Amino acid sequence: MAVDKSIVGAPTGKSKIVVERGPVGAFARAVKDDSEIYQDPEAARAAGFERIPVPPTYGFAMSYWGGFPEIQPADDPGKKRNILMEVMGGLMSQGGVILHGEQEFIYHRSIMVGDVLVGEGKVVDFYDRESKGKVMTFLITENVYRDEKTGEPVLTTRMNLIHRR
Amino acid sequence: MAQRRLGTFDQVKEGDTAPEQQHELTRTDLVIYAGASGDFNPMHHDEIKATAAGFPSVFGHGMFSAGYLAKALTDYVGAGNLRHYKVRFVKQTWPGDALTARCTVVRKRIENGARLVDLECSLVDAKGEVKVSGEATAELSA
Repeated sequence: MAVDKSIVGAPTGKSKIVVERGPVGAFARAVKDDSEIYQDPEAARAAGFERIPVPPTYGFAMSYWGGFPEIQPADDPGKKRNILMEVMGGLMSQGGVILHGEQEFIYHRSIMVGDVLVGEGKVVDFYDRESKGKVMTFLITENVYRDEKTGEPVLTTRMNLIHRR
Repeated sequence: MAQRRLGTFDQVKEGDTAPEQQHELTRTDLVIYAGASGDFNPMHHDEIKATAAGFPSVFGHGMFSAGYLAKALTDYVGAGNLRHYKVRFVKQTWPGDALTARCTVVRKRIENGARLVDLECSLVDAKGEVKVSGEATAELSA
């Protein structure tokens, strides 16, 4: 079954995220990073950071901690249609499993405690691939996070989900 | 705004490797990561559900592995210097796995005046099976 290519480019939603000290410190410990720069503002300054920075993969968890409901953008085109739920729900109805295949981060500047970020997501690719009689469907989404104050991009993330049946 | 770790661009050579880092994965690690990341997929913390689903036990979050591998990278190149990091989830990790993080410099290049170092990295178990493979780029000072 061919995939619906029309969703490529479709928005997956906007978000606003506050970066707070407690979750950043807890996340660093959870990935076994005992560096003081994620815990102590003085240690962060001594390492050349203005404020406590976040570990490299925090961008994947930050909306869980800092995406407070009352600050979310009202005019969110992604809200009208939840593409991710639609696509993955449709695939799962055919059975099989969804796997996180790849995850990518492009760092434009260090994210730090106190930042308020605005994220905007879209579908960047959607395709099928057949291998040994099995069909795998790939969905690649991208989120660009910008500093709310300056508008400068700080982080781009890309996620590759695979449905295998 | 970054940590100085790796030395200057001129001091780094292709083929240089980071000191290996090791960690034996425990169920407690998975519970802590679930709480810190908000990923409460029961396959990562609920042994009863995981075995009912046909797995030998709970298994690790891919993003825990990616986070641990990133720690090995930033310990080597210094926090704040990564420009790019990409991981591919190859195999599941299991409690009791002795995980080793490896990073190697594979290329040096100058792009728009930025001194860049490309690295390949991987997280492997005691048998050498690759769990996560990754690539990264760090920017170094002159």
